[in-house]
Amino acid sequence: MIYLDYSATTPVNKEVLESFDRVCLDYPGNPNSLHKLGTNNAKLINDATEQIKKLLNVDMEVIYTSGASESNNTVIKGVASKYKNRGMHIITSPFEHSSINAPLNYLASQGYEVDFVELNSDGTVNLDNLKSLIRDDTILVSIASVNSELGILQPIEEIAKIVKEYPKCFFHSDMTQSIGKVNVPIKDIDFVSFTAHKFFGLKGIGVLLKKESIVIDSLIHGGKSTSIYRSGTPAAPLIVSIAKALRLALENQEDKINHIKKLNDYLKENIKDIDGVYINSTDKSIPHILNISIPGIKPETMLHAMESKDIYISTQSACSTGDISKAVMALTHDEARASSSIRVSISYVTTKEEIDQFIKCFKEAIKELRLK
Amino acid sequence: MKIVKINALWCSGCLYMKKVWKDVLKEYPNLDITEYDYDLDEDIVKTYNPGEILPVAIFYKDNIEYKRLVGEKTSDEIINVIKECL
Repeated sequence: MIYLDYSATTPVNKEVLESFDRVCLDYPGNPNSLHKLGTNNAKLINDATEQIKKLLNVDMEVIYTSGASESNNTVIKGVASKYKNRGMHIITSPFEHSSINAPLNYLASQGYEVDFVELNSDGTVNLDNLKSLIRDDTILVSIASVNSELGILQPIEEIAKIVKEYPKCFFHSDMTQSIGKVNVPIKDIDFVSFTAHKFFGLKGIGVLLKKESIVIDSLIHGGKSTSIYRSGTPAAPLIVSIAKALRLALENQEDKINHIKKLNDYLKENIKDIDGVYINSTDKSIPHILNISIPGIKPETMLHAMESKDIYISTQSACSTGDISKAVMALTHDEARASSSIRVSISYVTTKEEIDQFIKCFKEAIKELRLK
Repeated sequence: MKIVKINALWCSGCLYMKKVWKDVLKEYPNLDITEYDYDLDEDIVKTYNPGEILPVAIFYKDNIEYKRLVGEKTSDEIINVIKECL
């Protein structure tokens, strides 16, 4: 089996799972209880939180959620609700995940106005256009650090600098596809979302980092837990596991990136000359993601053809439906490419032998499907 | 005149078109628009055969489907179809 869908999710690291098991079995108390079984558990959570802050070099509030979708919903709805008297204008990009688009669509139905920033030809946000869109009533700019389909890395530091000039406007970045993979400095960003299962952690745990000084409305009401912004008994085993997963993901990060970049370059070199194959990822894409179009072959058909060869890739972002990639369409303005795109995502555990096997099977699959 | 719109919450194109339609409605405030959600109104939506690209706007002339606009469009493109239907 060759797994090349690491941007959808990653298998859990055994050491992470062992940490999860240990806390489940050895720390039975409720972290909110005042007896020592509770306070021991609370200390574990506190240590994990401090570790996450240190690893990411931030001094922000760490709000634990069920995943990035909840983190994104919490910040978007929380800011919109709290600051609606200040303004009802929000800016985003055409590259966002459905967990950004859906709450924004919901807010638009409540009277909020949403603008999309224009993209440059390499898929990065047009900073001049962003400046022109920010108004006195803009309360939030939400732009992901890395797009999940094309892997395009946005100039987050420059975007943060621009938004910082507007003290009534907050900047949120969904960093689900960058944290644990590439280093994006979290400076002058008000809110950051991410989740553990993208970097060999467990599913069911995510984080929203929030600047301490900012107050938002809560999505879930129920009293103070580890944060007033997320009620419910804190999931200590999951919290400890995300800190562990993050620490392991950031170990030797440069070596991991170099390995992935070599594999990505090798893959591109070997498929770029195949007749009718287009590489959609740009030079701004992180090496972990390679988006490819084969006009004339439906992505789902290609996915199943590769699956029959025991190779697992992805069509568009797993949370969307239909065969058209909105992200590829936004970048290429080419319907044939947008309706035939697949995503190959690589991790540091991917081997050259796996990429060789992918290339061989990919060429075979194209031949077989074109003969049909 | 009657218009049926099919949107989805997760769809960025649908979000983009909300603002465009707001402009159209300023000029044509009396349009008879019915909106369906691709996921929530699945059974009704199927009867319109919307295809794979959202949003879909179906324009009716004399109660018969006249034209469809699919994906992101400008307010001028929408207004041109409305003028043809009226």
